[in-house]
Order: sequence, then C-alpha cells, then structure tokens
Amino acid sequence: MPDDDQIGDSFSQEIGFQFSGSMNEPGGPWRVNRISPLVHAVRTVPAWLAIVFITASALGVALGPLMFVLGVLAIAVLAGVVALFQFIAWKRLTFWFDAEGDLRVDSGVFTRQQRRVQLSRVQAVDVVQPVAARLFSMAEIVIEVAGTGESRVKLSYLTTDEARLLRETILARASDSADQSEVETTVIAQVPGRMLAVSLLLRTSTAGLLLLTIIILAVNIRTEGLSGVGIAVITGGVPILTVIAEFIRYYGFTVSDSDDGVRLKYGLLKTEHRTIPAGRVQAVEIVEPLLWRRKNWVRVRVNIAGVGNSSSSSSSSSGAEALLTPVATREDALSLISRIMPSLDIATLVWHSAPRRARLRSPIQWSFLAIAWTGTIFAARYGRVTRHTSVIPDVRTQSVRWTQGFFERALTLASMHVDSTPGLVSISGLHLDADFARTVAYEQAERALHAE
Amino acid sequence: MWAKCFATMNPSPSAEDEGDWQSVSPKLATARRISLLLAYIPVLAVVVILSRLDQVPWQVAPLLGVFAVIAGVWAWWIIGRRVSSFGYLERSEDLLVRSGILFQRLVIVPYGRMQLVDVTAGPIDRSLGITSVQLHTAAATTKAVIPGLTPEIAAQVRDRLARAGESRSSGL
Repeated sequence: MPDDDQIGDSFSQEIGFQFSGSMNEPGGPWRVNRISPLVHAVRTVPAWLAIVFITASALGVALGPLMFVLGVLAIAVLAGVVALFQFIAWKRLTFWFDAEGDLRVDSGVFTRQQRRVQLSRVQAVDVVQPVAARLFSMAEIVIEVAGTGESRVKLSYLTTDEARLLRETILARASDSADQSEVETTVIAQVPGRMLAVSLLLRTSTAGLLLLTIIILAVNIRTEGLSGVGIAVITGGVPILTVIAEFIRYYGFTVSDSDDGVRLKYGLLKTEHRTIPAGRVQAVEIVEPLLWRRKNWVRVRVNIAGVGNSSSSSSSSSGAEALLTPVATREDALSLISRIMPSLDIATLVWHSAPRRARLRSPIQWSFLAIAWTGTIFAARYGRVTRHTSVIPDVRTQSVRWTQGFFERALTLASMHVDSTPGLVSISGLHLDADFARTVAYEQAERALHAE
Repeated sequence: MWAKCFATMNPSPSAEDEGDWQSVSPKLATARRISLLLAYIPVLAVVVILSRLDQVPWQVAPLLGVFAVIAGVWAWWIIGRRVSSFGYLERSEDLLVRSGILFQRLVIVPYGRMQLVDVTAGPIDRSLGITSVQLHTAAATTKAVIPGLTPEIAAQVRDRLARAGESRSSGL
C-alpha cells in the first residue's frame, strides 16, 4: 500500500516520465480521475428514477408539483449516497507499476483487494465509454488477462486522453518494445452503416423470423382472426430489436492496423475500442449466411486466448469479443485475415469432403462438410444454409479428438475435432470416413507437435 | 447395418494405435454401480409414494417399478462395458485416451500443450482406493480424463505427465 500523500491524482501529469524512462521502471502510484464518484452516481440515476416512479405509482400518489420536487429530492439523496460510497472507493483505489514493471491495483471498500496484472499475460486492453461517462468525456479501461476465472481488471474513470495514454503505456510495456507513445494506426477497413443494417436484416435467423411474421400476419388477415397477432409480435419484435441493438453496437465498425496488433473501434452510443494483440489469435472463422452469398459478404469471428473464458464477461459483450468484423466483402475479409494469420490462403486449400453416404447422417449439410490442411494450418467447414469455414494454425492446436456416435458407426463415419481455446470458433470435420478421420487426427497431432 | 451400431470398441486398429494400451481398474465399475444404486433411492421413494396415493391408479407404481428395474439392469451392464472401454497410452510426445461404447472418442494431447494435471477422488472413489487423472489444455473441449487409477499409478502418471509437459511447453 503506497503512502497516501505520495499518490498522484492525474495519470497524465507523470506520463512524460514514463515514456522517457525504461519500460520496466516503476511508476505511480496514481488514482483514477477525481470526478469518478460523480460519474458512478450519474450512471445509477436511471435506475433510481425507475424505482422512485414505480414506488410512487404503487403507493397511488397523485402527480403534482410537490410530489415532483420530492421525487427529485429522493433521487438526489439516493445518488448522493452512491457518490459518497464511490468517493470512499475512489480514495481506496490506487494503481501503479511495480519494480518488475507489472501493473498493480489496490481497491475495495469493505473487502480490500490487491491485484497484480502480469503485463506479459495481457491479452487485450479496451477503452470503453458508457453514455454517462461520455457526458463527462470520461472513459474506463478494461484489461483482459489470460487465465481462468476473474481475469479482467477495470479502472474507471479516466479522461479519454488519459485512458488512451494508459492503454498505450500498458500495451507498450506488455509487448516489451521501445518507445511507442505515438502508435501509428492506419484504417484498413470500415463498415458502412447501410451495409451493416442490410447485413443484419439478411442474417438467416432474422430473415427467417421476419418471413414467418409476414406469413402469420397474411394468414391472420385472410382469416380475419387475430389469434396469431400475439405470436407475430414476438416473431417480428425479437429480430427487429436484435437488429437495432446490434446496429447500435457495431455502428461505424473500424479496423485499423498498428504495431501492437489490429485495433477495432465501434459503437453508436457507447464507443468501444479493442486491440487484438499481434500473434494472440487462436482460430478464425468465416461465416456466410445464405442471403449474404449473392452479395459476397462474410462475417469473421476469432478466438483469442483469455477472452471469452471468464465467467465475469457479461453476455452482452461476449459476442463482440469474438468479432473481427461484423460484415465485409469476401476479399476484404481475406486480406484482414491475412494480417492476423499470415501464411494462410483459403482459396488454394485442397478440401477433403465427407463421403456421399454422410447424407444419411446429415441430409442438408453433407455436401459442404470437408477438411483441409497445409502443414501450417488446419481448416474445416460445415453448414449449408449458413456456411462456416474455420481455420486453426497447427501451433495453436491444443489437442485433437476423434469421435464416433453410434449412427456414425453404422455408416462407418466418424468426426474429428481440433481443439482451440474457448470461444465461438470450433474446428470440426464432421461425418468423414472413419478410418480417414482417424488417420488425419493422428497426423494433425503430429503436425501440432512439430509446428513452430 | 444396425448390428454395427453396437459393435465393440476398437473398430479399426491402425498403425498409430499400436502400443501398450493401459486399461483402468475394474473397481471403477464398482464405484459407478454404487452411485447408480444411490441414484435409485429417490426413484424408490417415488414408487413407494405413488403406490400409497389413492388418486393414482394402482397399476402405475408397479409399472414404473418394472421400468426402473429394466433401466437399472441395462445401466448396470453398460457401466461394465464403458469401464472396460477406457484406455490410455503414453507415447513419447503425446497422450492418447479412448473411451465410450455408444459414443466413442479418442483424445490426443501433445505433452507440450498441457496446462495442468488434476488428480481427484470423490468419497466413493476414495473408499474403493481409486482416483482419476485429468489433463487440462488451454482448450475447454479437450476433456482428457483417465478415471479409475489406483492412487500409486495416478501419482506416477501425473508426475510423468507434468515432467513431460514442463520440458515441452508451447502453444499459446
């Protein structure tokens, strides 16, 4: 625990010292910005508003000027309590770089917590701006560390400039390279709003549900009954809300290239910055929904070590952590992939398909099922309506499995799987010839061994 | 064709499979059968309660009982087959684990990709003197478990695997 009067209030005042010195020099301690308690309090206002409103209507209070003033007062008092609590939390939260150059965070009001973030294990550093923070032009820093369990560290709030600076400092220290205070970034891909909206509407599940809604409504109008309207509200409403939510989430999706990896920036209400550190990508998947294929559009998902295996990552953010781009033309997607996974040329892969008898096991997707390998990567594809093509470098292969369900055995088929770190991308060659799958599984394990 | 669905394990021995496959202790079957019997206590309770209720037709309880007994006998038999299907082979650079009757699987884990090795034993396992060894890689889907080893063998396997893993660590 650092001495109280030594603590610097602002990170940026001392940052000049950081970059002039060696990267592994200790620095700090610092506190987050002193208006953080206020931002925390403002963030809770909508919740208090809802609670006061619900309480008032439950008690049957008539709305009048007096009640209005009382309500505002109640919210102010509640937010004030939060601010007070957060003030103590702010007092208790300090962070610094220790003698080994690792980031240390001390925090906690009731339970004191001392965390040490081993910078060599940092997987991603994100600058996140919730709406309330944006009002004060503040941002929070989220640090993802490889490991299971509670593996993310949050520092809230810093001014946006300080947040960027801190992120750059952490990334520079993590990649252990020299002066990177001015990281060059070049935009390499940007998703136009129109393309994003159209692509979200044409996703297989969305389009299917909307079509179903139209059919239900049409039947209802013809029969002049209204029994199906309730169902139509759900089948139509859920996909529309999903599309709107994803549109807001991924609006202005920008991919830029920098020395420390690929950077993503997106969001309409809340701008999120993500950095995929170079060489931390475990597996890649190209997803092609049926209705995107005429436009030659694809979605690209990735597995990143340390991201997606912590239970603390909220469900709302887990999807985005796996995205390299929500939509892109095939050519753009392939050139993006070549940046994070060099030595991969999907177009020239030689695919080994599942035998014809596999149609008895998977009547729809059997003709697309195939695997391919080159000596540095392994690829598998599946799906018919929505095609999935996933690729894993041999170096990233964790283990290899061969499985055979009893229906597969009747057809002398078997599947083989190449295991990657937890994430949305899985690499499985389904319903191949049993002996072929077994041989390839052994060969893949062999290639994984000798991959460098 | 349907006969093949129930064909026994090790369908097609290939060149890579050659080697000294180790099987697991038959005590594992005993342990699993004990937990099967324990799982039958609530079933028995339900049957007894149903036979006492007036609202339920009297045929229901015996029917349920007969069905439960048939399912139990089948499970008893399949446990034996499943336990004998487990096998593992330590090769120079990787570990192979195979298992399963209806759903057969074979896992190949290169020693260099092992993150940690767990040795665990539940209360039933401990009273019978068996433990299980599980290998973890950075992938959650690996699931390489060797159950039913005697504690001495489990400790030896763990130490050998840990040593092999240390000298070859890579892959993240």
